[in-house]
Amino acid sequence: MPVLEAKDLRKQYKLGQHLVNALTGVNFQVEEGEFVAIMGPSGSGKSTLLHLLGGLDTPTEGNITLAEQSLAKLSEHKATLVRRHNVGFVFQFFNLLPTLTAEENVLLPVIIDGKNPRKYKERLTNLLDLVGLLDRRTHKPDQLSGGEQQRVAVARALITEPAILLADEPTGNLDTKTGNSIMELLRRSCNELKQTVIVVTHDPKAAAYANRIIFLRDGDIVEELRSGQEQPLSDRLRNIMSTMERLES
Amino acid sequence: MRLFRLLTLRSMRSRSLRFLLSAFGIILGVAGMLSIQATNQTALNSILNLFESTSGRAKLIIASADSDEGGFSDNILGKASTVEGVLVADPLVIENTDLADKEASTQLDISFFGASGGGLLVHGIVPALELRTRDYTLKEGRFLSEDLKEREIVLVESFAEDEDIRVDDLIKIITPNGTKELKVVGLIAREGPGKTNNGSFGVIPLETARGLFNRSNELDQIDIVPVNPNPGTSELAELRANLQQEIGDDYSVTYPSGQGERMTQMLQNYQIGLNFMSGIALFVGAFLIYNAFAMTVVERTREFGMLRTIGMTRRQVISQVLVEAAFLGFFGSALGVGLGILLARGLTSLMENLMSQELGAVLVTTNDMLFSMSIGVGVTFLAALIPALQAGRISPIEALRVRGKSKEGWLIRYGWTLGIVMLGGSVALLIINPFPYDVQFRLGSITVFGLFTGATLLIPITVGIWEFVSRPIIKLIYGSSGSLGSRNVQRSRLRTTLTVAALMVGVAMVIMVRGMTESFAVDLRTWIQAYLGGDIYVTSSIRLRSDLERRLKSVEGVYEVAPLRYFEVDWRTPAGDTETINFMAIDVIAYSRVTNFVFSSEQVDPQQAIERLSAGRAVFVSTVLAERYNLVPGEIISLKTRRGLKDFEIAGVVVDFYNQGLVVQGSWEDMRRYFNIKDANTLLVKVNEGTPASSVQDRIDVQLGDRYHLILISNDVIREQVLNLMDQAFRMFDVMALISIVVGSLGVINTLTMSVIERTREIGMLRAIGTTRGQIVKMVLAEALLIGVIGGILGLGTGVVLARILFIGMTTMSGYRLTFVLPPEGIIISIVIALIVSQVAAIAPALRAARVRILEAVHYE
Repeated sequence: MPVLEAKDLRKQYKLGQHLVNALTGVNFQVEEGEFVAIMGPSGSGKSTLLHLLGGLDTPTEGNITLAEQSLAKLSEHKATLVRRHNVGFVFQFFNLLPTLTAEENVLLPVIIDGKNPRKYKERLTNLLDLVGLLDRRTHKPDQLSGGEQQRVAVARALITEPAILLADEPTGNLDTKTGNSIMELLRRSCNELKQTVIVVTHDPKAAAYANRIIFLRDGDIVEELRSGQEQPLSDRLRNIMSTMERLES
Repeated sequence: MRLFRLLTLRSMRSRSLRFLLSAFGIILGVAGMLSIQATNQTALNSILNLFESTSGRAKLIIASADSDEGGFSDNILGKASTVEGVLVADPLVIENTDLADKEASTQLDISFFGASGGGLLVHGIVPALELRTRDYTLKEGRFLSEDLKEREIVLVESFAEDEDIRVDDLIKIITPNGTKELKVVGLIAREGPGKTNNGSFGVIPLETARGLFNRSNELDQIDIVPVNPNPGTSELAELRANLQQEIGDDYSVTYPSGQGERMTQMLQNYQIGLNFMSGIALFVGAFLIYNAFAMTVVERTREFGMLRTIGMTRRQVISQVLVEAAFLGFFGSALGVGLGILLARGLTSLMENLMSQELGAVLVTTNDMLFSMSIGVGVTFLAALIPALQAGRISPIEALRVRGKSKEGWLIRYGWTLGIVMLGGSVALLIINPFPYDVQFRLGSITVFGLFTGATLLIPITVGIWEFVSRPIIKLIYGSSGSLGSRNVQRSRLRTTLTVAALMVGVAMVIMVRGMTESFAVDLRTWIQAYLGGDIYVTSSIRLRSDLERRLKSVEGVYEVAPLRYFEVDWRTPAGDTETINFMAIDVIAYSRVTNFVFSSEQVDPQQAIERLSAGRAVFVSTVLAERYNLVPGEIISLKTRRGLKDFEIAGVVVDFYNQGLVVQGSWEDMRRYFNIKDANTLLVKVNEGTPASSVQDRIDVQLGDRYHLILISNDVIREQVLNLMDQAFRMFDVMALISIVVGSLGVINTLTMSVIERTREIGMLRAIGTTRGQIVKMVLAEALLIGVIGGILGLGTGVVLARILFIGMTTMSGYRLTFVLPPEGIIISIVIALIVSQVAAIAPALRAARVRILEAVHYE
């Protein structure tokens, strides 16, 4: 059973007087433990697709099944609860709360859920260790670098053991080296924790960390690449770049 | 609880300055409300206590029905004593006198209740009966003996101390037959009956009083102690009716508290105004809370978006904001209660001056405090409700936006339609106003809300126009950076709206207070000029002798002397009720030579009206009575005289603030003929033209001062005292308005600081391409100036309407027919304040903007 399934997804927006078809019938599935990258030029609909997959927005037509729950017929309140328990988010701009420490930011989803954070002590420690911030757990965001903040964000996204982790341009605000370290972290979470990860990115180097790359253009999937991590990075990159060139031409 | 601790508390702590500034609004509102309530209650209790404690066990008072002068025959004492239910019928003779060797006071004690020259109030009593009516706490010596002809007196301890009098001393008092000696046999505490006349009080035997003051067979009052010491309302009413029937309609049987109720009614108008202001203060506080929370929600849009993304429900987001509001409300209200108690002390002290009466300890009940706190918390909660709901509506996608520019809410985009309706409705209510006067005033309070909210909702749609019109002027002042800055107001219309609104409210309060005080001041000045016509005010703490007028006229330099006599009279209202008002008797010709009447209508022929008054059986009624009872010249009113109910024609309507306007003016001849009163209690002296009034005053003092125990004061001095009293009364309103301006300016600082932070990258870019620090400062100042201009002009508009509302409310409730005046200097000051406040408030944010480091700024996220 796939952990995420999108069927005939369509999304229309009204922009002034015009109707914009952001998605025009997207179909795909994601299995547990997969690392999927969604790529495409500006306006291809990748951010829209991410919003729909995470239950942040509702499709005009079509359905999404997440962790065996159909999101289509859910009320806003129920959709929020599904999101709380089944989706972890990593944003481009980190979006940590400046008044909380690193570990408090990580525990935020648990606290919102009304659970006792003490019960998550071990998981918290493991995650902070995974992201390499055990010694910075009591620091506030303004005391952390951009990369460190994004690591905290990744740990926050993983604390509830979500069905999927969605990342929107997670390296967009970081230098290459730091960006790579974040992608490696997401890769590790996939390998070690069997976490299903979906990343939206325009960066081929970031996409190269994924097993599967979905290319969007004009609101639909136009190409898909699969690659194993055993393939050399340079080869993976070359495949991605040539696919992108082909699609752009 | 965890969420509250982690999110709400931390958020408040990180914005502690904003939190405190917002709390300041509620502190102000709650403090104002509690202090005014406490002061009103203290004043009311003090007055009622005074009359209750001085009346002792007496539950009813018999007095003459026609006026409070001249006394009545003592043959009804026997009749009153025999009525079933009466335990004691305690007779009193009441006289004003003074110590003969005491120098006459050189100033009048002026208060809301009139003017008094001091002196000693003396009751002639039957000791045996008096002690069954009242409890005297003897501090030294003994009480009066049973011999009613003994020349002895018991004084209040504090008065004796002030005058250096001891037990067994012989004192001389002034009587119609010259100075007479009395032996001081005892001193009583200043409590219970010792509080009478602020302690300037003494008791002497009844017959002694009658003999000294030529009051043979007369009484002024009979106090009735019922058999049942605690009669119920209906039992007492029955006793009252039985007494009235027995003694007849020439006498009135009243409750002792009735006198106190009349005094509290006099305070009512002032209290209404203060209550209105405290309501406005609370509204201002609420508005500022709304302002602060709305800004906070805007600031935290991305944060709330993120929280929604990771699973926080709408309800949880709304709760976060409301819990913060409740916390703020509780904190602000608690501080407000504390401040309110302090303010109440100051206000009570002010009230003591206005009433010329000690009020005792400030009465702040637990109920008052709890009520004020609950109002404060409730108002804060309500004020934060809309921002809370808006926070709940923030979509999770807000967190993912790169630039973080959120869509403006529908209130900003379409609220102008509601704004027009509210503004139009408020103004229409003001103009049309078909309701009874008490409904009008309550509606006035709602209109205030409609006015501010309506004006605020129009700001977003008009901001562009304001900017366009002001741009050339701002460019002139601040150059091209100025026009860059002024355009910024359109970038966040919500933030601009909230800031302009805060400033608008502050400016409106200033205009409203100035408009109201000036309107009262103008008419009061005109009235006092006429009322205190002439040059010298002559009165005494004892009864003026009838030959004084003639003697004054013979003093060199005196042009004319106009006698005045005030006394209480009952009249029958058009509804058939009996109301006690004041009758001011004047020698019409002499009065016209000394001063002038202030007629309320230009259509009246003054000469004709004066002639009609002189002819007799005619009165001038005050504008208050005319307004309240729809009286016009030519109509007839009925006054209770010694000869029964008599009709008097209304010859004119005059402006008269005496006794809160419950006064009629009549001729001297009518007073003598129908009320059997022959003497003046005040004389107005006009000096010859070119003669200095002070020299005439000195001459009068030398020739007549001691002999007649006169108080001589120049009318200029009295006018000054009255106007000072009025200034004091309005000072509280000025303080409220000033605080509103300060709080409004805090809103400006807030907005501009946020604006600078948001535009850090942009400012860095401008600096990178060559904009100087000075130009950056000008840019921020220009934005602030435009906010000040819009806030000032809107504040002026709403302030004028507000002033009108308050003016109409106050005049309708009080009955004073005043002229609405908006002082030009008040208008100018308000605009200047708005401009200065906006510029001063912008200095810190402007300097912050100028100090932005270019490289940090262009990488800022």
